[in-house]
Amino acid sequence: MENLLANPTSYSQAAPLAGAAGTPVLRLTNIEKVYQTSTIETVALNQVNLVINRGEFVSIMGPSGCGKSTLLSLMGLLDEPTRGTIEVDGRPVQSYSDRELAGLRNLKIGFVFQSYHLINDLSVVDNVELPLLYRPGMSGKDRRQRALAVLDKVGLGARTGHFPSQLSGGQRQRVAIARALAGAPEIILADEPTGNLDSVMGEEIMDLLLGLNRQDGVTIVMVTHDEQQALKTERVIRFFDGSQVG
Amino acid sequence: MLRHLFTLIWNRKRANLLLISEIFFSFVVLFVVGVVLITTAENYLTPHGFNYNEVWRLQVRAGQGLKMPRAELDEVLRHVKALPGVRTVALTSGNVPFVFSTNNSEFSYQGKKSPVTNVYDADDHYLEAMQLHLREGRWFGPAEDGSNHRPVVISQDLRQSLFGNGPAVGKVFTYLNPGKDPKPEHQFLVMGVVDNVRMSSDFNAAEPSVWNRLIPFDTTHWETANVLVRVAPGEGGALQEKIARTVAGVTRQWTTEVRVVNDDRLNRRRYTLVPVVGLSIVGLFLIINVALGLFGVLWYNISQRRAEIGLRRAMGATGAGIGWQFLGEMMVVTTFGVSLGSLLAAQFPLLNAFDLPAHPYLLAIGGAAGAVYLITALCAWQPSQLAAGIQPAVALREE
Repeated sequence: MENLLANPTSYSQAAPLAGAAGTPVLRLTNIEKVYQTSTIETVALNQVNLVINRGEFVSIMGPSGCGKSTLLSLMGLLDEPTRGTIEVDGRPVQSYSDRELAGLRNLKIGFVFQSYHLINDLSVVDNVELPLLYRPGMSGKDRRQRALAVLDKVGLGARTGHFPSQLSGGQRQRVAIARALAGAPEIILADEPTGNLDSVMGEEIMDLLLGLNRQDGVTIVMVTHDEQQALKTERVIRFFDGSQVG
Repeated sequence: MLRHLFTLIWNRKRANLLLISEIFFSFVVLFVVGVVLITTAENYLTPHGFNYNEVWRLQVRAGQGLKMPRAELDEVLRHVKALPGVRTVALTSGNVPFVFSTNNSEFSYQGKKSPVTNVYDADDHYLEAMQLHLREGRWFGPAEDGSNHRPVVISQDLRQSLFGNGPAVGKVFTYLNPGKDPKPEHQFLVMGVVDNVRMSSDFNAAEPSVWNRLIPFDTTHWETANVLVRVAPGEGGALQEKIARTVAGVTRQWTTEVRVVNDDRLNRRRYTLVPVVGLSIVGLFLIINVALGLFGVLWYNISQRRAEIGLRRAMGATGAGIGWQFLGEMMVVTTFGVSLGSLLAAQFPLLNAFDLPAHPYLLAIGGAAGAVYLITALCAWQPSQLAAGIQPAVALREE
């Protein structure tokens, strides 16, 4: 199977898989996230210090409401911490503009969600092309080639013209993984990727993620409730009430 | 990105059908209103082809069931013309300018058919009274007293339809269906050609016209005579009273009414403007309704697509990019509606509908398209900004 991620094609803006395995790719220091309304202050994350190294497969576990998804949003630069710093490749991002953060997300981070978040009105291949639409200078032909290649990689080469409603849950999650891979990101952030799937399909998706990590060296941070799946990853980080407990 | 937007809209065509229909109908309404307004404005700016200032309409009535002898009527006209302040008087038919009275017919010349043409009776002084602008030939006069045919003067547009670029003066034309052996009075000898005239109202287009000579010595007895009186500038009520007294001095049985042609013009203007203004108001309300509808649909659309917005932000879209995307989608939807509307609207100039030239239609298509794009852009702007401001982390958590 072609290693697409180690060879992110010819477009100039593509993020290279730079850096040696084991070097920090994400560093969170003294992170606090507080949601404030006029009457209530909710501490979602409290004094979180975390380093994700390149090539790692890390799972984050904890009960519902403990701040796992908030942590993933912060790692994915979708939200800003109330206090603390986030560094990507050693560079703090708190002073980055909206445009710079969007560029960083596009180049370095792929997202996989529990509910897939596919656009139902777009075909499978159009869904997979989505992150490449926000990559300036990439031609439509290159986008299509790359989307077809990653769909082939996740075993959906024969379903490119289908629409999400025509696919099973497992196939939809494969499309979502293909979409995350299309931009050749260094990091995949997966928020309960098997949460909506039965155990067989869940295993398939887990195997796919493990393959991406072990064969292609993609850094993966996965939020999960499944202890068995978490144990398959290199490191398990546990949260409780917004704090890291293990 | 544009291809992506077209793909997205095309795949959502069923959901967007209502929106496209609304835009289509808005375009059609704006197009119709546009054609009416452009045509009306163009007509308004076109010269009338005669001078209605200082012209009065004198109507003399013999009374119910009574006829006025022509000789007696000529006597009245002589006395009126002799009054100080009266420049000239001209006997004409009832379809004087700006009144709700028409008399029309169709004519032909060597197989060429005229459009429906206004027919006026006019005496030899009509040209002077109305200050028509003679382009070719001359107005009829005593020299035509012995003519075998009916002397007429025609307007330029009638001249074009019957004679094209060939000579017109001296030619004889007939009614459209003259019969085998038309009478001499039904054969019309062109004496002159005048500029096009707009006698219906300020907002109506010029209509082909023909002026038939009223022969001074004809023996027709009328119930009512219509006389155009050109007066000196500044003349008013006092002269009108004198005219009424003068007519009464000749014959006490006859009644008179004097009206200022300019007053008739202003009165007719109101009647003509009412439907135009009404159509514009209805169109405006319809467009406001459509705009509010679009606004509501877009708000709903964005609330339904919050997760997609969050996803796109996660994939690398900026907030501003999301705003532009929604605006762009609306423009693509508008393009579908406007394209359908333009296809329909283009049939009007192609089929030469309502005998209008092509340019009002083309201008109205351009104007309606511009207005629809502007309206949809304005309606989409605020919801797009709302979409741009959606926090991706919040939007992704909602589903």
